[in-house]
Amino acid sequence: MAMRPVGAGQRGVRMMRMVCRLILAAGVMVCVLGSVGRSQAQQTIRVGWTIPAEESKYWMMRRPTEFPDLGKAYNVEWTQFQGTAPMTQALAAGALDCATQAPLSLANGVVGGNLRAYIVAQHVFEKPGGFSVYWAVMNDSPIKTVADLKGKTVGISVIGGGTQGPFNMLLKQNGVDPTKDIKLVEVGFAVSEDALRQGRVDAVNMNQPFAARAEAKGGTRKLFSLSQVMPNIVHILEACRADFVDKNPDLVKAYVRDITSGMKKALANREETLKVVSEVLKAPIPVLDTYLLKDNDFGRDPGAAPNFPAIQKMLDIYAETGMLPKLDVAQFKHPTIVAPLQ
Amino acid sequence: MMTRALLARATPVLACLGLLAVWQAASLVLNNDSFPTAIEAIRAIPSILGDKEALINILASLRRMAIGFGVAVAMSIPLGLMMGRSRTVASFFNPLLMVIYPVPKAALMPIIMLWLGVGDIAKMLVIFLGVSLPVIYHSFAGAKAVEEKMLWSGAAMGLSSAQRMTRIVLPAALPEILTGCRTGLVLALITMITSEMIARQSGAGNILFNALDMGQYDTVFAMIIIVGAMGIGLDALFERMRARLVKWSEPQFDIPVSFS
Repeated sequence: MAMRPVGAGQRGVRMMRMVCRLILAAGVMVCVLGSVGRSQAQQTIRVGWTIPAEESKYWMMRRPTEFPDLGKAYNVEWTQFQGTAPMTQALAAGALDCATQAPLSLANGVVGGNLRAYIVAQHVFEKPGGFSVYWAVMNDSPIKTVADLKGKTVGISVIGGGTQGPFNMLLKQNGVDPTKDIKLVEVGFAVSEDALRQGRVDAVNMNQPFAARAEAKGGTRKLFSLSQVMPNIVHILEACRADFVDKNPDLVKAYVRDITSGMKKALANREETLKVVSEVLKAPIPVLDTYLLKDNDFGRDPGAAPNFPAIQKMLDIYAETGMLPKLDVAQFKHPTIVAPLQ
Repeated sequence: MMTRALLARATPVLACLGLLAVWQAASLVLNNDSFPTAIEAIRAIPSILGDKEALINILASLRRMAIGFGVAVAMSIPLGLMMGRSRTVASFFNPLLMVIYPVPKAALMPIIMLWLGVGDIAKMLVIFLGVSLPVIYHSFAGAKAVEEKMLWSGAAMGLSSAQRMTRIVLPAALPEILTGCRTGLVLALITMITSEMIARQSGAGNILFNALDMGQYDTVFAMIIIVGAMGIGLDALFERMRARLVKWSEPQFDIPVSFS
């Protein structure tokens, strides 16, 4: 007697069972692997970082033996991010414990992501007489003043980013409506010089080390800088999740102590800092030597202390320009865990 | 005849040389800092490959890619085969796959990061998603094309459902499955890099995106050449393996994108 083929319905049910088992096995595998990751994270601080301008963290990463507690009393799991905004998401999701933040991205996390965090240290700010992010035009450009930007194409590194608040304010002060009078386009710092020289933009913002490179080549001039509208702008700081700090105060203290110590080392030994930064950025030392820790660089507080009044001023500007609701910087202050910690 | 054979073998090399020549000429004409010449990019390759840390980074990416690709293939082939042989399974999974298929896998990274953190598992999941869809579809198509008569014959000979799947459907669908795997391999390489775009602890993306941030375009383009070369190498290896496994199906003509 010939065998009857299995019915299509029966076969389907059997296959569905096999598929369910397969998915279940995969789910168990992901859960096991995920829990392993979490249990490891409890013994360490998961820290997000980016490039450039975080010399104290670069020292900790590249010269860990200089920090007695690092690797002994606590560990750091370093993850590099492309900018501060994704780190805000990671902090809000609990995927990171501490991270580099710009005041605007941190505030956005608070407003949009229910993030609660403390500012525990500061990396760089715009010191009087030092480097300030500026907008450049070509030497032969008819644009002589901010008001001349009307009707022009202007580049900015990130639309809606940290520099846009003071930028918008400066335009408004000079009778230029940033939403109607200019065509704002996003041009990353790395390609800003090219965009300007090729005429793709009429003015563009410049940051180090690209500003130093453009100045060395010549042919461009500074139109205005952010320090004109606001001195002491804090560009990047270190923030930690409030729940993590409250749960692990000693751990975070040890981390902040090392950030303080890292900043001191970075400022005290420029030659070694150039090597450390070169290792992290993979940029040649001669390029870094044109600006790093010189007068044409951003400012660094010797104790990595956050400048809360300056941050409050920035938050006020963001509120004034409609980028954020009104926020009080006090919510980011921890009573004891803040740089400098010895 | 011999000249034609030689020419056929040299065609991929000539195509690459042609591309490099066009690149060199375009770069010289445009004279743009962010677009280095092909020679400048090639010159930057030894410094990357000579750096121990860079090699560790590239190997870390390849390890993640291998795991993501392996897990994807191991799960997608059985699923695709089952979809090809059962309308119920196909109608259950098809809508899900159709939703996931057009989504750029790198765009899922921020969401995946929320579930699985910023470590290797999140990146491997992105690679897994990138690889699994072509493998599933090709396995599905391969299994669907198997003649019903062959399965009836197998059943008549006393083969169980699972035995028919492994001894009839799988071998018959193998050429199609391997075509899916070949596409999946290239996608694994692409997703390997894009998964490192937002967050990374190590990897080839480390070198590429750091260089991009720092405006070191010769390194950026050198890394693009290295990733491209890795793609060609992996494809050639895979093609050799594929040719051995499905020698019986003997394709008359295959797209000579690899150097195999």
